[in-house]
Amino acid sequence: MADKRLIADLSVKGFDPNLYVSRAAEGGEDALLDLKQRIHILGDKTAQELKKNVYKNYSQFIDTAREISIVEGEMYQLSHMLTEQKGLMASMMEMSLVSDKAVVEEPQKEAEPEINPKEETRRNLAFLLEKVEGCSSVTEVPGRQLIHNGDLTELDIESLTPTQKVHAFLLTDSLMIASWLPNRRGPVRYRFQGLYELDNLAVVNVRDAGPVKNAFKILMFPASKIYQTDSAKSKRQWLDILEETKKKKASRDKQKKEVVQRLAEQQSVASLSRVEEASKTSFVDEEDKTTLVEFETDTLLQEDWLQELPENLDMCIAQRDFEGAVDLVEKVNEYLKESSKSPSLKEFRARIDHRVKQLTEGLMSELQVSPERSLRGGPRAARRAVAQLIRLGKSAQACDLFLKNRSAIIKYNIRQLKFEGATTLYIRCMCAVFFNSLLETSKEFLKAFPNHYGCYSAFIVWCKQELELFVKTFNRHVFDGKTSSTTVAECVSISRKHCQELCQSGLDIAYLFDGLISSDLENTIIEKREQLKDIVKYRSADDLWRPMNHMSQKDCQKYLDEMASARMDLKDYVYQECFISLTMNTAQFAKSCFQYTEDLLLVYSQEHEALITDSLVQVISEQLQHIEASLKSDKFKEDHNFILKNALFIVEVLMGRLERLYRDFQVTFPPELNAIRENYKHLKAVAKSVKT
Amino acid sequence: MSKAKTQQPAVIHKVIMVGSGGVGKSALTLQFMYEEFVEDYEPTKADSYRKKVVLDGEEVQIDILDTAGQEDYAAIRDNYFRSGEGFLCVFSITEQESFQATSEFREQILRVKNDDNIPFLLVGNKADLEEKRQVTAEEAQHRAQQWNVPYVETSAKTNANVDKVFYDLMREIRSRKMDASKQNNGKKIKKKDSKRKKCTIL
Repeated sequence: MADKRLIADLSVKGFDPNLYVSRAAEGGEDALLDLKQRIHILGDKTAQELKKNVYKNYSQFIDTAREISIVEGEMYQLSHMLTEQKGLMASMMEMSLVSDKAVVEEPQKEAEPEINPKEETRRNLAFLLEKVEGCSSVTEVPGRQLIHNGDLTELDIESLTPTQKVHAFLLTDSLMIASWLPNRRGPVRYRFQGLYELDNLAVVNVRDAGPVKNAFKILMFPASKIYQTDSAKSKRQWLDILEETKKKKASRDKQKKEVVQRLAEQQSVASLSRVEEASKTSFVDEEDKTTLVEFETDTLLQEDWLQELPENLDMCIAQRDFEGAVDLVEKVNEYLKESSKSPSLKEFRARIDHRVKQLTEGLMSELQVSPERSLRGGPRAARRAVAQLIRLGKSAQACDLFLKNRSAIIKYNIRQLKFEGATTLYIRCMCAVFFNSLLETSKEFLKAFPNHYGCYSAFIVWCKQELELFVKTFNRHVFDGKTSSTTVAECVSISRKHCQELCQSGLDIAYLFDGLISSDLENTIIEKREQLKDIVKYRSADDLWRPMNHMSQKDCQKYLDEMASARMDLKDYVYQECFISLTMNTAQFAKSCFQYTEDLLLVYSQEHEALITDSLVQVISEQLQHIEASLKSDKFKEDHNFILKNALFIVEVLMGRLERLYRDFQVTFPPELNAIRENYKHLKAVAKSVKT
Repeated sequence: MSKAKTQQPAVIHKVIMVGSGGVGKSALTLQFMYEEFVEDYEPTKADSYRKKVVLDGEEVQIDILDTAGQEDYAAIRDNYFRSGEGFLCVFSITEQESFQATSEFREQILRVKNDDNIPFLLVGNKADLEEKRQVTAEEAQHRAQQWNVPYVETSAKTNANVDKVFYDLMREIRSRKMDASKQNNGKKIKKKDSKRKKCTIL
């Protein structure tokens, strides 16, 4: 109650704190203290309330923001749907115009036999080319016409749920299905999906399939599809037209057969009579000749196995029996090679060619690199598809795909390697993977493309490309500026060794590799040289020419061991157990110089010889210059003997070691380095001249 | 099952009606589908029906392909047969020719499916027309035994045994499917085995 009054008091308009306090003070100390406490409590409460309010506002703000983002998403969806609808409307308007035309044309055709069928076909099917992607082969068959077309919805054969929108084109002898490409502007709205011959296409009227209306099935081995039209009328139309077209085709085929038969009879009679006539006149009517040819080819096509060939080919392709399919194709090619061209043969050819195309696609997809396919099959898996493609005369494609496949395998394998720790180790693994793959590929290539010399150049080009990629990765790891020259040297020599191995199997890419890393390698050599020279300068600045004192025998031994690991034997220089009669500077220089030489020799190649020699000479000369300067200096007048001893160590012992190293690497010791030895005499002379 | 309409039972048994023209394939189908007998005869081209049924307590779908008795094209007929899992081979007991034709149908089916144990029922329809009978139950039974398939006489008109033939066939299809899934337990069907041997007819 008191609190409420307090709140009321404090929140009065025109509240005068002074007046309030002075009035409250009248009540004495206790009342004042009490008031103070109450005001404090009120203050805390208000602060808390304020905090709560802020939080509440904030959470409301978040909720609102969320709601807005949802609304935004919905708006976006809506606009997307609208544009889709718009596209659909546009395409529907175009389509309906055309299909009207097709339907109108139909009866006309029936009324009068086509005057110029070829022209008609062109016009009719050219429209297909404009609308459908990848259907050029369809339009090539002479006499083929568009009978009917329309939009259909493809349903899942099991669940009857819509799967995709298609557009179907009924042609005189086949049904073409093209899938609808959403979000596509311009005239091309469909992608070619399949062409099915009416001969073995079964149409089933779906009378009742629960809630799904206006559907019909198309059974085409090996697939069967179910399509839905937008109205009962258009379904009826489709079924009727399909039926009619099939019948027409059947009667056409029948007529043809009859003609052939009749011709055969005539021919046999004619040939008999001609034999008699031949003696009288050798003149044969030109027209007669053509009919004869036609007759021959048509009887040629009457062969049973030939009749069944398209179907058998389909089966082989469906069963992925590619060898069998190619066998069939070769057989038919062989069989039809001799025969001349006639319309019926052309038609048959078109049927075969269509399947050959399918077969090629199948084989190509076998070789295609796709993310979901495992690459572990290796080159032997690809060999089968390659061999069949070559038999089909597609060696160029086969070669291209084969190499692409190999590229992917190499890339995959290299990616599988984990980069952890030592660069050398990683490079070693990478080299092993890469060069083994190259070797494997080259072997496989020779096996897969025997006598296809044209493909070999493609292989060489491929090798070069792969090597370039490899070197790119190699460079990134090896010449990144932070790697020590020793690591660089090791990595380069590992790769070179692999190159040489490859060379033994007939593929020389060593020169390519050297060429690709040459500039980086030179940079590394020069960089290291400058680094060493800097170190010499730096060490020389505070060289006091004192023997090394290792304080104890144990420590001395430790140092000796350390140097020995760098193949420097300093035992002879030890005196008084813990002293070594060389300066620290000299010993360290000898060690790093030796290491540097070893690295250089590891990457040695003829073209770098001058650089290597020059670098070594520069580094050693730098050290000798320091010695000469020390001899000339007044500071070390007393130390001449010791200095000369160090000089001798460098000129004799170190140079000796380097010479042996050169021998180990079977490289001739360059005279420029040998000449360095002469410097000792010069130094001695300098010492003498200073003393006197 | 109050979910959306598209929520269909997963299992679909595909039944194909074969037999000469006019033996009553469509009549049997329509009787099974809608329990009505259609008197007028109109040659079928190829019709398909689908219906939800309860088979021994399990909800399944039956997909019936009612084929044309007079299909001229072998290739197209083969396509029909390929899509089926079980066959009702129908003849009319009042017509000897239709009974003779069943052998040919059987042969074609076996050739296409390459499976001697394909679910298959020999059905003698029009059993209500006993007075016009030309095919005796014995000879039909004899043929069925030769093929190792059941023989059932039906009447689409009186609805005798109509449901029975469809359900019996579905049971066979179901048990075949279960065997198959047991056999290749997750593995793919051995495709090599199903390689079709071609034989030329006519």
